Amino acid sequence: MSKDMLRRVEEAAGHLRGVLPELPDIVLVLGSGLGHLADRIERPTIVPYKEIPHFPVSTVSGHAGEIVSGKLRGRNVIAMKGRIHLYEGYDAQTVAFPIRVMRELGAKRLLITNASGGINPSFRAGDLMLIRDQINFMFRNPLIGPNADQFGERFPDMSEPYDKRLRGLALRVAAGKGIVLREGVYAGVLGPSYETPAEIRMLRTLGADAVGMSTVPEVIAARHAGMNVLGISCITNMAAGILGRPLSHAEVTETAGKVRHTFSELLLGIIPEM
Amino acid sequence: MEQNYLQKLKESVKYIESRLDGLRPAFGLILGSGLGDLAEQVEHPVRIPYGDIPHFPRSTVAGHAGRLVAGELEGKPVIVMQGRFHYYEGYSLKSVVFPVYAMKLLGVGGLVITNAAGGMNRAFRPGDLMLIRDHLNMTGGNPLVGPNDEELGVRFPDMSEVYSREYRQLAHRVASGILLENGRPLTLREGVYCGISGPSYCTPAELIMLARLGGDAVGMSTVAEAIAARHAGLKVLGISCITDMAVGEELEPLTHEQVVAVADRTKPVFAALVKAFLREI
Repeated sequence: MSKDMLRRVEEAAGHLRGVLPELPDIVLVLGSGLGHLADRIERPTIVPYKEIPHFPVSTVSGHAGEIVSGKLRGRNVIAMKGRIHLYEGYDAQTVAFPIRVMRELGAKRLLITNASGGINPSFRAGDLMLIRDQINFMFRNPLIGPNADQFGERFPDMSEPYDKRLRGLALRVAAGKGIVLREGVYAGVLGPSYETPAEIRMLRTLGADAVGMSTVPEVIAARHAGMNVLGISCITNMAAGILGRPLSHAEVTETAGKVRHTFSELLLGIIPEM
Repeated sequence: MEQNYLQKLKESVKYIESRLDGLRPAFGLILGSGLGDLAEQVEHPVRIPYGDIPHFPRSTVAGHAGRLVAGELEGKPVIVMQGRFHYYEGYSLKSVVFPVYAMKLLGVGGLVITNAAGGMNRAFRPGDLMLIRDHLNMTGGNPLVGPNDEELGVRFPDMSEVYSREYRQLAHRVASGILLENGRPLTLREGVYCGISGPSYCTPAELIMLARLGGDAVGMSTVAEAIAARHAGLKVLGISCITDMAVGEELEPLTHEQVVAVADRTKPVFAALVKAFLREI
Protein backbone atom coordinates (compact mmCIF):
# COMPACT_ATOMS: atom_id res chain seq x y z
CA MET A 1 0.00 0.00 0.00
CA SER A 2 1.46 3.30 -1.03
CA LYS A 3 1.89 6.22 1.38
CA ASP A 4 -0.80 7.97 -0.60
CA MET A 5 -3.24 5.10 -0.05
CA LEU A 6 -2.46 5.14 3.65
CA ARG A 7 -3.18 8.86 3.81
CA ARG A 8 -6.50 8.28 2.06
CA VAL A 9 -7.43 5.55 4.54
CA GLU A 10 -6.66 7.94 7.40
CA GLU A 11 -8.66 10.76 5.86
CA ALA A 12 -11.69 8.54 5.26
CA ALA A 13 -11.48 7.17 8.81
CA GLY A 14 -11.04 10.70 10.15
CA HIS A 15 -14.22 11.80 8.43
CA LEU A 16 -16.18 8.87 9.86
CA ARG A 17 -14.82 9.50 13.37
CA GLY A 18 -16.25 12.97 13.07
CA VAL A 19 -19.76 11.83 12.15
CA LEU A 20 -20.23 8.54 14.02
CA PRO A 21 -21.44 8.79 17.63
CA GLU A 22 -19.77 5.47 18.47
CA LEU A 23 -16.96 3.52 16.86
CA PRO A 24 -17.76 0.05 15.50
CA ASP A 25 -16.59 -3.35 16.77
CA ILE A 26 -18.08 -5.37 13.96
CA VAL A 27 -18.10 -4.64 10.24
CA LEU A 28 -20.95 -6.08 8.20
CA VAL A 29 -20.40 -6.38 4.48
CA LEU A 30 -23.73 -7.17 2.87
CA GLY A 31 -23.85 -8.72 -0.58
CA SER A 32 -26.25 -8.65 -3.54
CA GLY A 33 -29.84 -8.44 -2.35
CA LEU A 34 -28.80 -8.88 1.31
CA GLY A 35 -28.54 -5.24 2.33
CA HIS A 36 -31.80 -5.28 4.29
CA LEU A 37 -30.09 -6.27 7.54
CA ALA A 38 -28.73 -2.74 7.70
CA ASP A 39 -32.33 -1.56 8.09
CA ARG A 40 -32.52 -3.33 11.46
CA ILE A 41 -29.72 -1.25 12.94
CA GLU A 42 -30.94 0.87 15.84
CA ARG A 43 -30.19 4.58 16.16
CA PRO A 44 -28.56 4.45 12.75
CA THR A 45 -26.14 6.98 11.38
CA ILE A 46 -26.23 6.77 7.60
CA VAL A 47 -23.34 8.01 5.53
CA PRO A 48 -23.45 7.69 1.74
CA TYR A 49 -20.14 6.45 0.34
CA LYS A 50 -19.88 9.52 -1.80
CA GLU A 51 -19.65 11.75 1.28
CA ILE A 52 -16.64 9.85 2.62
CA PRO A 53 -13.37 11.16 1.22
CA HIS A 54 -11.72 8.74 -1.24
CA PHE A 55 -14.40 6.08 -0.67
CA PRO A 56 -15.08 4.09 -3.85
CA VAL A 57 -18.65 4.19 -5.09
CA SER A 58 -20.43 1.08 -6.40
CA THR A 59 -21.84 1.14 -9.93
CA VAL A 60 -23.87 -2.08 -10.06
CA SER A 61 -27.63 -1.99 -9.57
CA GLY A 62 -28.81 -3.56 -6.32
CA HIS A 63 -25.81 -2.22 -4.41
CA ALA A 64 -26.94 0.91 -2.59
CA GLY A 65 -23.66 2.43 -1.49
CA GLU A 66 -23.97 3.71 2.05
CA ILE A 67 -22.66 3.05 5.49
CA VAL A 68 -25.10 2.41 8.30
CA SER A 69 -23.66 2.55 11.77
CA GLY A 70 -25.36 1.95 15.10
CA LYS A 71 -26.46 -0.77 17.48
CA LEU A 72 -27.50 -4.27 16.48
CA ARG A 73 -28.39 -6.66 19.32
CA GLY A 74 -26.33 -4.56 21.67
CA ARG A 75 -23.20 -4.46 19.56
CA ASN A 76 -21.64 -1.50 17.81
CA VAL A 77 -21.78 -2.38 14.15
CA ILE A 78 -21.07 -0.64 10.92
CA ALA A 79 -22.72 -2.04 7.83
CA MET A 80 -21.51 -1.52 4.31
CA LYS A 81 -24.68 -1.54 2.35
CA GLY A 82 -23.42 -2.22 -1.13
CA ARG A 83 -19.85 -2.98 -2.00
CA ILE A 84 -17.54 -2.51 -4.91
CA HIS A 85 -16.19 -5.28 -7.05
CA LEU A 86 -13.14 -5.99 -9.14
CA TYR A 87 -15.34 -6.49 -12.20
CA GLU A 88 -16.45 -2.88 -11.98
CA GLY A 89 -12.91 -1.99 -12.95
CA TYR A 90 -11.53 -1.15 -9.49
CA ASP A 91 -8.18 -2.59 -8.53
CA ALA A 92 -7.95 -4.96 -5.58
CA GLN A 93 -6.48 -2.28 -3.28
CA THR A 94 -9.48 -0.08 -3.89
CA VAL A 95 -11.87 -2.97 -3.25
CA ALA A 96 -10.11 -3.57 0.07
CA PHE A 97 -10.04 0.15 0.94
CA PRO A 98 -13.24 0.22 3.02
CA ILE A 99 -12.04 -2.72 5.13
CA ARG A 100 -8.90 -0.82 5.98
CA VAL A 101 -10.89 2.26 6.86
CA MET A 102 -13.01 0.17 9.26
CA ARG A 103 -9.92 -1.39 10.78
CA GLU A 104 -8.49 2.08 11.23
CA LEU A 105 -11.70 2.93 13.13
CA GLY A 106 -10.97 0.04 15.47
CA ALA A 107 -13.26 -2.71 14.18
CA LYS A 108 -11.83 -6.16 14.88
CA ARG A 109 -14.51 -8.44 13.43
CA LEU A 110 -15.72 -8.79 9.89
CA LEU A 111 -18.99 -10.49 9.03
CA ILE A 112 -19.03 -10.75 5.27
CA THR A 113 -21.83 -12.09 3.11
CA ASN A 114 -22.33 -12.65 -0.57
CA ALA A 115 -24.53 -14.20 -3.18
CA SER A 116 -22.85 -17.11 -4.88
CA GLY A 117 -23.41 -19.91 -7.32
CA GLY A 118 -23.56 -23.44 -5.95
CA ILE A 119 -20.98 -25.86 -7.33
CA ASN A 120 -21.37 -28.63 -4.76
CA PRO A 121 -24.10 -30.81 -6.28
CA SER A 122 -25.73 -31.38 -2.89
CA PHE A 123 -26.47 -27.65 -2.61
CA ARG A 124 -29.76 -26.07 -3.65
CA ALA A 125 -30.63 -22.50 -4.53
CA GLY A 126 -31.62 -20.79 -1.31
CA ASP A 127 -29.11 -22.66 0.85
CA LEU A 128 -26.85 -20.74 3.20
CA MET A 129 -23.19 -21.73 3.24
CA LEU A 130 -20.69 -21.00 5.96
CA ILE A 131 -17.40 -20.22 4.23
CA ARG A 132 -14.73 -22.54 5.61
CA ASP A 133 -11.99 -21.43 3.27
CA GLN A 134 -11.49 -19.59 0.01
CA ILE A 135 -9.70 -19.95 -3.30
CA ASN A 136 -8.39 -16.78 -4.86
CA PHE A 137 -9.08 -17.32 -8.56
CA MET A 138 -9.23 -13.62 -9.33
CA PHE A 139 -5.60 -13.25 -10.44
CA ARG A 140 -5.42 -10.22 -8.13
CA ASN A 141 -4.29 -9.58 -4.57
CA PRO A 142 -5.00 -6.41 -2.58
CA LEU A 143 -1.63 -6.60 -0.84
CA ILE A 144 0.45 -6.19 -3.99
CA GLY A 145 2.65 -3.13 -3.69
CA PRO A 146 4.59 -1.69 -0.76
CA ASN A 147 3.39 -3.20 2.50
CA ALA A 148 1.52 -1.07 5.02
CA ASP A 149 3.35 -2.18 8.14
CA GLN A 150 0.90 -0.40 10.43
CA PHE A 151 -1.82 -2.76 9.20
CA GLY A 152 0.01 -6.03 8.99
CA GLU A 153 3.04 -7.92 7.83
CA ARG A 154 4.45 -8.38 4.36
CA PHE A 155 3.54 -12.06 4.12
CA PRO A 156 0.36 -12.62 6.08
CA ASP A 157 -0.63 -16.13 7.05
CA MET A 158 -3.79 -17.43 5.36
CA SER A 159 -4.04 -20.78 7.13
CA GLU A 160 -7.30 -19.77 8.76
CA PRO A 161 -8.90 -16.96 6.76
CA TYR A 162 -12.29 -17.69 8.32
CA ASP A 163 -12.07 -17.78 12.09
CA LYS A 164 -12.64 -21.18 13.63
CA ARG A 165 -14.35 -19.87 16.77
CA LEU A 166 -16.71 -17.73 14.72
CA ARG A 167 -17.52 -20.67 12.46
CA GLY A 168 -18.34 -22.78 15.48
CA LEU A 169 -20.53 -19.99 16.75
CA ALA A 170 -22.38 -19.72 13.44
CA LEU A 171 -23.04 -23.46 13.34
CA ARG A 172 -24.29 -23.43 16.94
CA VAL A 173 -26.63 -20.52 16.33
CA ALA A 174 -27.93 -22.11 13.12
CA ALA A 175 -28.58 -25.40 14.89
CA GLY A 176 -30.35 -23.62 17.72
CA LYS A 177 -32.67 -21.86 15.30
CA GLY A 178 -33.23 -24.88 13.10
CA ILE A 179 -31.54 -23.22 10.14
CA VAL A 180 -29.67 -25.50 7.74
CA LEU A 181 -26.18 -24.11 7.31
CA ARG A 182 -23.96 -25.75 4.73
CA GLU A 183 -20.22 -25.43 4.91
CA GLY A 184 -17.74 -25.12 2.09
CA VAL A 185 -15.02 -23.44 0.09
CA TYR A 186 -15.76 -20.20 -1.74
CA ALA A 187 -13.94 -19.60 -5.03
CA GLY A 188 -13.60 -15.94 -5.93
CA VAL A 189 -13.50 -15.20 -9.65
CA LEU A 190 -13.08 -11.93 -11.51
CA GLY A 191 -16.35 -11.91 -13.49
CA PRO A 192 -18.48 -10.15 -14.62
CA SER A 193 -19.45 -12.82 -17.14
CA TYR A 194 -20.74 -15.89 -15.36
CA GLU A 195 -18.56 -18.98 -15.50
CA THR A 196 -18.81 -21.52 -18.30
CA PRO A 197 -19.79 -25.13 -17.47
CA ALA A 198 -16.16 -26.17 -18.15
CA GLU A 199 -14.96 -23.56 -15.66
CA ILE A 200 -17.40 -24.81 -13.05
CA ARG A 201 -16.17 -28.39 -13.52
CA MET A 202 -12.62 -27.06 -13.14
CA LEU A 203 -13.46 -25.20 -9.93
CA ARG A 204 -15.13 -28.31 -8.58
CA THR A 205 -11.98 -30.32 -9.35
CA LEU A 206 -10.01 -27.65 -7.50
CA GLY A 207 -12.12 -28.07 -4.38
CA ALA A 208 -14.64 -25.25 -4.58
CA ASP A 209 -18.21 -25.59 -3.30
CA ALA A 210 -19.46 -22.17 -4.36
CA VAL A 211 -18.33 -19.41 -6.70
CA GLY A 212 -18.75 -15.66 -6.66
CA MET A 213 -17.22 -12.36 -7.70
CA SER A 214 -16.48 -10.77 -4.34
CA THR A 215 -15.29 -11.37 -0.77
CA VAL A 216 -11.79 -12.71 -1.45
CA PRO A 217 -9.95 -9.35 -1.62
CA GLU A 218 -11.78 -8.02 1.45
CA VAL A 219 -10.98 -11.11 3.47
CA ILE A 220 -7.30 -11.02 2.51
CA ALA A 221 -7.10 -7.37 3.58
CA ALA A 222 -9.00 -8.10 6.80
CA ARG A 223 -6.71 -10.98 7.74
CA HIS A 224 -3.68 -8.90 6.86
CA ALA A 225 -4.95 -6.34 9.37
CA GLY A 226 -5.59 -9.01 12.00
CA MET A 227 -9.38 -9.00 11.88
CA ASN A 228 -11.38 -12.14 12.63
CA VAL A 229 -13.63 -13.02 9.75
CA LEU A 230 -16.92 -14.85 9.45
CA GLY A 231 -18.21 -15.40 5.92
CA ILE A 232 -21.61 -16.65 4.81
CA SER A 233 -22.72 -17.22 1.23
CA CYS A 234 -26.27 -17.28 0.08
CA ILE A 235 -26.43 -19.88 -2.71
CA THR A 236 -28.69 -17.91 -5.02
CA ASN A 237 -28.45 -20.22 -8.00
CA MET A 238 -26.70 -23.37 -9.09
CA ALA A 239 -23.62 -22.60 -11.18
CA ALA A 240 -23.43 -23.03 -14.96
CA GLY A 241 -23.86 -26.52 -16.34
CA ILE A 242 -25.31 -28.03 -13.17
CA LEU A 243 -28.97 -27.52 -13.98
CA GLY A 244 -28.41 -27.00 -17.71
CA ARG A 245 -30.13 -23.64 -18.00
CA PRO A 246 -28.96 -20.05 -18.41
CA LEU A 247 -28.08 -17.86 -15.43
CA SER A 248 -29.42 -14.40 -14.80
CA HIS A 249 -28.82 -11.70 -12.24
CA ALA A 250 -32.59 -11.50 -11.72
CA GLU A 251 -32.52 -15.08 -10.37
CA VAL A 252 -29.78 -14.08 -7.94
CA THR A 253 -31.68 -11.16 -6.43
CA GLU A 254 -34.92 -13.14 -6.43
CA THR A 255 -33.45 -16.02 -4.40
CA ALA A 256 -31.64 -13.64 -2.07
CA GLY A 257 -35.01 -11.96 -1.48
CA LYS A 258 -36.65 -15.27 -0.58
CA VAL A 259 -34.13 -16.22 2.08
CA ARG A 260 -33.60 -12.74 3.53
CA HIS A 261 -35.65 -13.48 6.62
CA THR A 262 -33.74 -16.68 7.48
CA PHE A 263 -30.46 -15.00 6.69
CA SER A 264 -31.26 -12.05 8.97
CA GLU A 265 -32.33 -14.38 11.78
CA LEU A 266 -29.05 -16.25 11.55
CA LEU A 267 -26.90 -13.13 11.49
CA LEU A 268 -28.86 -11.52 14.34
CA GLY A 269 -28.27 -14.64 16.40
CA ILE A 270 -24.54 -14.59 15.70
CA ILE A 271 -23.75 -10.91 16.15
CA PRO A 272 -24.20 -10.62 19.95
CA GLU A 273 -21.53 -13.28 20.52
CA MET A 274 -19.07 -12.25 17.84
CA MET B 1 -16.95 0.32 -19.90
CA GLU B 2 -15.04 3.51 -20.52
CA GLN B 3 -17.41 6.34 -21.27
CA ASN B 4 -16.41 6.84 -24.89
CA TYR B 5 -15.98 3.16 -25.88
CA LEU B 6 -19.43 3.05 -27.43
CA GLN B 7 -18.82 6.41 -29.08
CA LYS B 8 -15.58 5.13 -30.58
CA LEU B 9 -17.31 1.96 -31.75
CA LYS B 10 -19.98 3.97 -33.48
CA GLU B 11 -17.37 6.09 -35.24
CA SER B 12 -15.50 2.98 -36.38
CA VAL B 13 -18.71 1.39 -37.60
CA LYS B 14 -19.75 4.54 -39.42
CA TYR B 15 -16.45 4.54 -41.28
CA ILE B 16 -16.65 0.83 -42.12
CA GLU B 17 -20.22 1.24 -43.35
CA SER B 18 -19.11 4.10 -45.59
CA ARG B 19 -16.75 1.66 -47.31
CA LEU B 20 -19.19 -1.24 -47.65
CA ASP B 21 -21.43 0.21 -50.35
CA GLY B 22 -24.63 -1.05 -48.78
CA LEU B 23 -23.41 -4.54 -47.90
CA ARG B 24 -24.88 -5.74 -44.58
CA PRO B 25 -22.68 -8.54 -43.26
CA ALA B 26 -24.64 -11.24 -41.43
CA PHE B 27 -21.67 -13.38 -40.42
CA GLY B 28 -18.33 -12.45 -38.96
CA LEU B 29 -15.15 -14.49 -39.19
CA ILE B 30 -12.04 -14.08 -37.07
CA LEU B 31 -9.14 -15.88 -38.71
CA GLY B 32 -6.30 -17.14 -36.59
CA SER B 33 -2.59 -17.82 -37.15
CA GLY B 34 -1.94 -19.14 -40.64
CA LEU B 35 -5.65 -19.36 -41.46
CA GLY B 36 -6.02 -15.89 -42.94
CA ASP B 37 -6.02 -17.10 -46.56
CA LEU B 38 -9.72 -17.80 -46.42
CA ALA B 39 -10.20 -14.06 -46.68
CA GLU B 40 -8.75 -14.25 -50.22
CA GLN B 41 -11.74 -16.34 -51.27
CA VAL B 42 -14.27 -13.66 -50.39
CA GLU B 43 -16.07 -12.51 -53.52
CA HIS B 44 -16.52 -8.84 -54.39
CA PRO B 45 -14.16 -8.05 -51.56
CA VAL B 46 -13.88 -4.68 -49.90
CA ARG B 47 -10.56 -4.62 -48.06
CA ILE B 48 -10.14 -2.16 -45.23
CA PRO B 49 -6.75 -2.07 -43.47
CA TYR B 50 -7.17 -1.72 -39.71
CA GLY B 51 -5.03 1.38 -39.89
CA ASP B 52 -7.71 3.15 -41.96
CA ILE B 53 -10.45 2.62 -39.42
CA PRO B 54 -10.80 5.26 -36.71
CA HIS B 55 -10.07 3.86 -33.20
CA PHE B 56 -9.33 0.35 -34.51
CA PRO B 57 -6.35 -1.36 -32.87
CA ARG B 58 -3.54 -2.62 -35.13
CA SER B 59 -2.04 -6.11 -35.23
CA THR B 60 1.68 -6.48 -34.55
CA VAL B 61 2.33 -10.23 -34.89
CA ALA B 62 3.88 -11.74 -38.04
CA GLY B 63 1.42 -13.86 -40.04
CA HIS B 64 -1.50 -11.60 -39.19
CA ALA B 65 -2.27 -9.31 -42.11
CA GLY B 66 -4.41 -6.82 -40.31
CA ARG B 67 -7.47 -5.87 -42.31
CA LEU B 68 -11.18 -6.36 -42.64
CA VAL B 69 -12.43 -8.06 -45.76
CA ALA B 70 -16.13 -7.76 -46.47
CA GLY B 71 -18.01 -9.40 -49.30
CA GLU B 72 -19.68 -12.70 -50.05
CA LEU B 73 -18.63 -16.21 -49.17
CA GLU B 74 -20.82 -19.07 -50.37
CA GLY B 75 -23.52 -16.53 -51.09
CA LYS B 76 -23.57 -15.18 -47.53
CA PRO B 77 -22.65 -11.58 -46.70
CA VAL B 78 -19.60 -11.78 -44.45
CA ILE B 79 -17.04 -9.60 -42.79
CA VAL B 80 -13.70 -11.22 -42.09
CA MET B 81 -10.98 -10.18 -39.68
CA GLN B 82 -7.79 -11.14 -41.44
CA GLY B 83 -5.52 -10.91 -38.42
CA ARG B 84 -6.66 -10.29 -34.88
CA PHE B 85 -5.49 -8.62 -31.70
CA HIS B 86 -3.99 -10.53 -28.83
CA TYR B 87 -3.74 -9.76 -25.13
CA TYR B 88 -0.04 -10.66 -25.24
CA GLU B 89 0.65 -7.89 -27.69
CA GLY B 90 -0.09 -5.50 -24.88
CA TYR B 91 -3.62 -4.53 -25.87
CA SER B 92 -6.23 -4.24 -23.19
CA LEU B 93 -8.92 -6.89 -23.47
CA LYS B 94 -11.31 -4.03 -24.30
CA SER B 95 -9.22 -3.38 -27.42
CA VAL B 96 -8.98 -7.08 -28.22
CA VAL B 97 -12.77 -7.34 -28.40
CA PHE B 98 -13.42 -3.97 -30.02
CA PRO B 99 -13.87 -5.54 -33.49
CA VAL B 100 -16.40 -8.03 -32.12
CA TYR B 101 -18.67 -5.21 -30.98
CA ALA B 102 -18.03 -3.40 -34.26
CA MET B 103 -19.27 -6.48 -36.12
CA LYS B 104 -22.33 -6.61 -33.91
CA LEU B 105 -23.14 -2.99 -34.68
CA LEU B 106 -22.64 -3.70 -38.39
CA GLY B 107 -25.47 -6.23 -38.17
CA VAL B 108 -23.56 -9.48 -37.70
CA GLY B 109 -25.58 -12.17 -35.89
CA GLY B 110 -23.21 -15.15 -36.05
CA LEU B 111 -19.48 -15.24 -35.48
CA VAL B 112 -16.96 -17.90 -36.50
CA ILE B 113 -13.85 -17.66 -34.33
CA THR B 114 -10.82 -19.67 -35.36
CA ASN B 115 -7.41 -20.19 -33.86
CA ALA B 116 -4.29 -22.29 -33.86
CA ALA B 117 -4.03 -24.30 -30.66
CA GLY B 118 -1.88 -26.87 -28.95
CA GLY B 119 -3.53 -30.25 -28.43
CA MET B 120 -3.54 -31.39 -24.81
CA ASN B 121 -5.89 -34.27 -25.41
CA ARG B 122 -3.75 -37.31 -26.26
CA ALA B 123 -6.25 -38.54 -28.83
CA PHE B 124 -5.60 -35.46 -30.97
CA ARG B 125 -3.08 -35.19 -33.81
CA PRO B 126 -1.48 -32.11 -35.38
CA GLY B 127 -3.67 -31.05 -38.27
CA ASP B 128 -6.90 -32.02 -36.48
CA LEU B 129 -9.73 -29.54 -36.40
CA MET B 130 -11.50 -29.20 -33.05
CA LEU B 131 -14.87 -27.62 -32.52
CA ILE B 132 -14.76 -25.66 -29.31
CA ARG B 133 -17.47 -27.00 -27.02
CA ASP B 134 -16.58 -24.74 -24.10
CA HIS B 135 -13.66 -22.76 -22.75
CA LEU B 136 -11.63 -22.12 -19.62
CA ASN B 137 -10.64 -18.51 -19.19
CA MET B 138 -7.16 -18.71 -17.71
CA THR B 139 -6.01 -15.35 -19.06
CA GLY B 140 -6.45 -13.63 -15.71
CA GLY B 141 -8.58 -10.96 -17.34
CA ASN B 142 -12.07 -10.40 -18.64
CA PRO B 143 -13.04 -7.95 -21.40
CA LEU B 144 -16.19 -6.94 -19.51
CA VAL B 145 -14.38 -5.61 -16.44
CA GLY B 146 -15.28 -1.97 -15.96
CA PRO B 147 -18.59 -0.13 -16.08
CA ASN B 148 -21.12 -1.94 -18.25
CA ASP B 149 -22.84 -0.39 -21.23
CA GLU B 150 -26.39 -1.75 -21.35
CA GLU B 151 -26.60 -0.80 -25.00
CA LEU B 152 -24.09 -3.58 -25.72
CA GLY B 153 -25.24 -6.24 -23.25
CA VAL B 154 -26.16 -7.10 -19.66
CA ARG B 155 -23.89 -6.66 -16.64
CA PHE B 156 -23.65 -10.39 -15.83
CA PRO B 157 -23.99 -12.30 -19.09
CA ASP B 158 -24.71 -16.00 -18.95
CA MET B 159 -21.93 -18.23 -20.29
CA SER B 160 -23.66 -21.58 -20.04
CA GLU B 161 -23.55 -22.06 -23.82
CA VAL B 162 -20.85 -19.83 -25.26
CA TYR B 163 -20.39 -21.98 -28.34
CA SER B 164 -23.76 -22.58 -29.93
CA ARG B 165 -24.90 -26.18 -29.80
CA GLU B 166 -26.85 -25.68 -32.99
CA TYR B 167 -23.77 -24.33 -34.82
CA ARG B 168 -21.70 -27.25 -33.56
CA GLN B 169 -24.23 -29.78 -34.78
CA LEU B 170 -24.31 -28.12 -38.18
CA ALA B 171 -20.50 -28.07 -38.37
CA HIS B 172 -20.33 -31.81 -37.63
CA ARG B 173 -22.94 -32.48 -40.29
CA VAL B 174 -21.26 -30.47 -43.04
CA ALA B 175 -17.85 -31.92 -42.12
CA SER B 176 -19.03 -35.42 -42.96
CA GLY B 177 -19.63 -34.21 -46.52
CA ILE B 178 -16.03 -33.05 -46.96
CA LEU B 179 -13.69 -35.70 -48.34
CA LEU B 180 -10.03 -35.70 -47.32
CA GLU B 181 -7.09 -36.66 -49.60
CA ASN B 182 -7.29 -40.23 -48.29
CA GLY B 183 -10.88 -40.40 -49.43
CA ARG B 184 -12.35 -40.42 -45.92
CA PRO B 185 -14.84 -37.86 -44.70
CA LEU B 186 -13.60 -35.12 -42.39
CA THR B 187 -14.18 -35.87 -38.72
CA LEU B 188 -14.09 -33.00 -36.29
CA ARG B 189 -12.79 -33.28 -32.78
CA GLU B 190 -14.67 -31.52 -30.05
CA GLY B 191 -13.28 -30.18 -26.80
CA VAL B 192 -12.58 -27.51 -24.24
CA TYR B 193 -10.30 -24.64 -25.28
CA CYS B 194 -8.13 -23.22 -22.58
CA GLY B 195 -7.26 -19.56 -23.13
CA ILE B 196 -4.01 -18.29 -21.58
CA SER B 197 -2.44 -14.86 -21.88
CA GLY B 198 0.90 -16.02 -23.35
CA PRO B 199 3.10 -15.07 -25.10
CA SER B 200 5.37 -17.68 -23.57
CA TYR B 201 4.17 -21.16 -24.33
CA CYS B 202 3.09 -23.29 -21.40
CA THR B 203 5.55 -25.28 -19.33
CA PRO B 204 5.04 -29.05 -19.07
CA ALA B 205 3.74 -28.60 -15.51
CA GLU B 206 1.26 -25.99 -16.68
CA LEU B 207 0.02 -28.23 -19.48
CA ILE B 208 -0.45 -31.13 -17.09
CA MET B 209 -2.41 -28.83 -14.80
CA LEU B 210 -4.61 -27.50 -17.61
CA ALA B 211 -5.30 -31.00 -18.90
CA ARG B 212 -6.33 -32.10 -15.41
CA LEU B 213 -8.61 -29.08 -15.18
CA GLY B 214 -10.47 -30.28 -18.23
CA GLY B 215 -8.75 -28.55 -21.13
CA ASP B 216 -8.35 -30.34 -24.48
CA ALA B 217 -6.51 -27.59 -26.33
CA VAL B 218 -4.60 -24.47 -25.33
CA GLY B 219 -4.08 -21.14 -27.05
CA MET B 220 -3.65 -17.41 -26.63
CA SER B 221 -6.80 -16.02 -28.18
CA THR B 222 -10.54 -16.58 -28.66
CA VAL B 223 -11.77 -16.54 -25.05
CA ALA B 224 -12.11 -12.77 -24.73
CA GLU B 225 -13.71 -12.50 -28.18
CA ALA B 226 -16.18 -15.26 -27.35
CA ILE B 227 -17.14 -13.62 -24.02
CA ALA B 228 -17.72 -10.29 -25.75
CA ALA B 229 -19.68 -11.97 -28.54
CA ARG B 230 -22.01 -13.63 -26.03
CA HIS B 231 -22.31 -10.35 -24.13
CA ALA B 232 -23.44 -8.78 -27.41
CA GLY B 233 -25.82 -11.68 -28.14
CA LEU B 234 -23.94 -13.17 -31.10
CA LYS B 235 -24.02 -16.89 -31.77
CA VAL B 236 -20.55 -18.35 -31.84
CA LEU B 237 -18.83 -21.19 -33.68
CA GLY B 238 -15.29 -21.83 -32.47
CA ILE B 239 -12.79 -23.89 -34.46
CA SER B 240 -9.29 -24.72 -33.29
CA CYS B 241 -6.68 -25.97 -35.69
CA ILE B 242 -4.49 -28.30 -33.62
CA THR B 243 -1.08 -27.22 -34.86
CA ASP B 244 1.06 -29.07 -32.32
CA MET B 245 0.77 -31.48 -29.45
CA ALA B 246 0.89 -29.87 -26.02
CA VAL B 247 0.95 -32.91 -23.77
CA GLY B 248 2.90 -31.97 -20.65
CA GLU B 249 4.52 -35.34 -20.14
CA GLU B 250 5.86 -35.47 -23.71
CA LEU B 251 6.50 -31.84 -24.55
CA GLU B 252 9.03 -30.97 -27.22
CA PRO B 253 10.40 -27.52 -28.06
CA LEU B 254 8.02 -25.52 -30.25
CA THR B 255 8.45 -22.57 -32.58
CA HIS B 256 5.86 -20.26 -34.10
CA GLU B 257 7.10 -21.42 -37.55
CA GLN B 258 6.01 -24.98 -36.78
CA VAL B 259 2.59 -23.72 -35.79
CA VAL B 260 2.26 -21.77 -39.03
CA ALA B 261 3.51 -24.74 -41.11
CA VAL B 262 0.83 -27.10 -39.75
CA ALA B 263 -1.84 -24.42 -40.04
CA ASP B 264 -0.70 -24.00 -43.66
CA ARG B 265 -1.13 -27.70 -44.40
CA THR B 266 -4.56 -27.74 -42.79
CA LYS B 267 -5.75 -24.60 -44.54
CA PRO B 268 -7.64 -26.23 -47.44
CA VAL B 269 -9.68 -28.51 -45.17
CA PHE B 270 -10.29 -25.69 -42.74
CA ALA B 271 -11.45 -23.39 -45.57
CA ALA B 272 -13.72 -26.12 -46.93
CA LEU B 273 -15.29 -26.56 -43.50
CA VAL B 274 -15.99 -22.89 -42.92
CA LYS B 275 -17.40 -22.50 -46.43
CA ALA B 276 -19.63 -25.55 -46.10
CA PHE B 277 -20.88 -24.22 -42.78
CA LEU B 278 -21.73 -20.85 -44.31
CA ARG B 279 -23.38 -22.49 -47.30
CA GLU B 280 -25.71 -24.58 -45.15
CA ILE B 281 -26.58 -22.10 -42.47
